Amino acid sequence: MSRKQFVIIGNSAAGISCVETIRKNDKNSKIIVISDEGYPAYCRCLISNYLAKEIKEKEIFYREESFYKDNQIELILNKKAVSLDTRKNVVILEDKNKFSYDYLLIATGSSPKFPSIEGMRRKGVFGFRSLKDVEEIEKLLPFANTACILGGGLIGIKSASSLLKRGIRVKLIVKSKQILSQILDFDSARIVQSFLENKGMEIFLGSDVVEIMGKDNVEGIRLDSGEKIPCSLVIVAKGVKPNTAWVKESPLKINTGILANEYLQTNIPNVFTAGDVCEVKDLISSQYTINALWPVAVEEGEVAGFNMCGERKIYPGSLGMNSVEFFGLPVISIGIFSPQEKAGYEELIHQDLARNIYKKFVLKENRLVGTILIGDIRAGGLFLRLIKEKKEVISIKDKLFNENFNYADIKGLIEEREKIYV
Amino acid sequence: MAKSLYYKIDKCLGCKSCEIACAIAHGEGGNIFLTIREGVLPRKKVYYCEGKNYPLSCLHCKEHPCVNACIAGALTYDAEKKLVLHDEKKCVGCWICVMVCPYGAIRPDFKKKIPLRCDKCKDKDKPQCVIACPTKAIIWEEETVI
Ligand SMILES: Cc1cc2nc3c(=O)[nH]c(=O)nc-3n(C[C@H](O)[C@H](O)[C@H](O)COP(=O)(O)OP(=O)(O)OC[C@H]3O[C@@H](n4cnc5c(N)ncnc54)[C@H](O)[C@@H]3O)c2cc1C
Repeated sequence: MSRKQFVIIGNSAAGISCVETIRKNDKNSKIIVISDEGYPAYCRCLISNYLAKEIKEKEIFYREESFYKDNQIELILNKKAVSLDTRKNVVILEDKNKFSYDYLLIATGSSPKFPSIEGMRRKGVFGFRSLKDVEEIEKLLPFANTACILGGGLIGIKSASSLLKRGIRVKLIVKSKQILSQILDFDSARIVQSFLENKGMEIFLGSDVVEIMGKDNVEGIRLDSGEKIPCSLVIVAKGVKPNTAWVKESPLKINTGILANEYLQTNIPNVFTAGDVCEVKDLISSQYTINALWPVAVEEGEVAGFNMCGERKIYPGSLGMNSVEFFGLPVISIGIFSPQEKAGYEELIHQDLARNIYKKFVLKENRLVGTILIGDIRAGGLFLRLIKEKKEVISIKDKLFNENFNYADIKGLIEEREKIYV
Repeated sequence: MAKSLYYKIDKCLGCKSCEIACAIAHGEGGNIFLTIREGVLPRKKVYYCEGKNYPLSCLHCKEHPCVNACIAGALTYDAEKKLVLHDEKKCVGCWICVMVCPYGAIRPDFKKKIPLRCDKCKDKDKPQCVIACPTKAIIWEEETVI
């Protein structure tokens, strides 16, 4: 095998999974990983656990210290890629250094969106994306009494929960009429909301921030209602945008993210992409979508890795799925959980509010296309499998809510992949 | 070659001896009374469906989507031993592994905040459920033999 040069931009979920796949298939080629962060790969999703002091710093790094050496990977940290020349096959870094490649993976992830309102640049305003963000927030905590979190999505609530656990008073400012609108329907969001309020989170629905007040430092925020809330810390969690700016001048096709086909290949044949920066077809809707999720980034990185080594592998499509835990309340959401057009969909719901249990199944043409599980999540994987395999579920429809719903119930419907019963 | 667990459904009585042996094997006490007091849950469960019993625990399956999905880097796959290894110290109890298990075999232990996963009793000479089964419905064998 001829010795190739693989360059990977981004040293996180997608990048690492790609690198590991390449190394398994190709022991000789050169692999260079470039990141503008200053750390070896870490569990980005756990920065909230780190802020809450539930884990220690060293526990956030998810590969052995010797990982890069053992896999003969040249790791370049604290260097930003600033442009891409796909004719000459070179990536250019901010220090003007050039790296040529035979195959390139763009796995630059995404960054928090900061709305353009007055005061965004005051000291004490943070995104919540990186270890560095947490380290900066940490410096302020001894002086902080109240924090305002802008945004009621997963990141907003995770960061708010962490601050609450650190004894900070937390106010969550949510523009929409419910929290977690990306993963929950209205009724289930209410359950989670009152649960969080019982834990001490103050939640303002239907409110938007119009100004972050103060001089150098943040002193408070002003809402569209005119209300002013004093605070010394603001976390902006109003969604993320893919990090595509550095390839804007290249011929890569970009919609919201960099567009990729089912091989995770861009319109330039030796340039691949994976993770939060990459837009591929969604498994259920077949529309180009970014499902900005850790497991998706890992899967895509793996498929890209295979294809970069010349092993044809098809990605069936990404899927929106989340499993989270808020102060002991488990929440799973998969696929289409609240269809906008009701026609053609069937929604089955079971609630037991006393036990904080909510289960919802969304069916289309007798196939499961989505679910919400709160409180009781045990059979989550089976529902994910039914959704992925797009099998008709008429025969088990009346069993879906059973507390002991199990593999034997779906065994007859799915393709057996692994022998268990003889 | 590594051995795995298989089950003869027609022989399973649903007596749950395997569950009890599993819990004892993963507790400190070494007997049923102490195991109950410790609150140790079995990592294996016998399910019931249409007149038959189906024992189930982590299959350590070849695709092991849980390993890819784990946001805490707590899971690794040892291909030689056909074993998904769970580092409980790293686990944060997010239940993503529960969400992606194609067999519904990983259950949450809400008290301990970690998922219940079969470890094939890797520190013993064979899984304790195999020994406990009174009807020999549990088979501990290499895949090729099956
Ligand atoms: C607090 C938090 C909680 C989360 N919780 C969950 C969860 O529970 N479940 C879930 O599925 N997902 C969760 N996510 C989302 C998950 O972390 C992302 O989907 C995942 O990290 C995407 O991985 P990636 O490799 O595509 O990109 P990223 O992890 O964003 O990594 C991209 C890397 O590339 C670097 N980079 C960017 N541009 C350049 C450049 N020009 N040059 C060099 N380097 C560059 C970045 O600095 C970064 O290091 C969470 C995210 C956060 C922030």
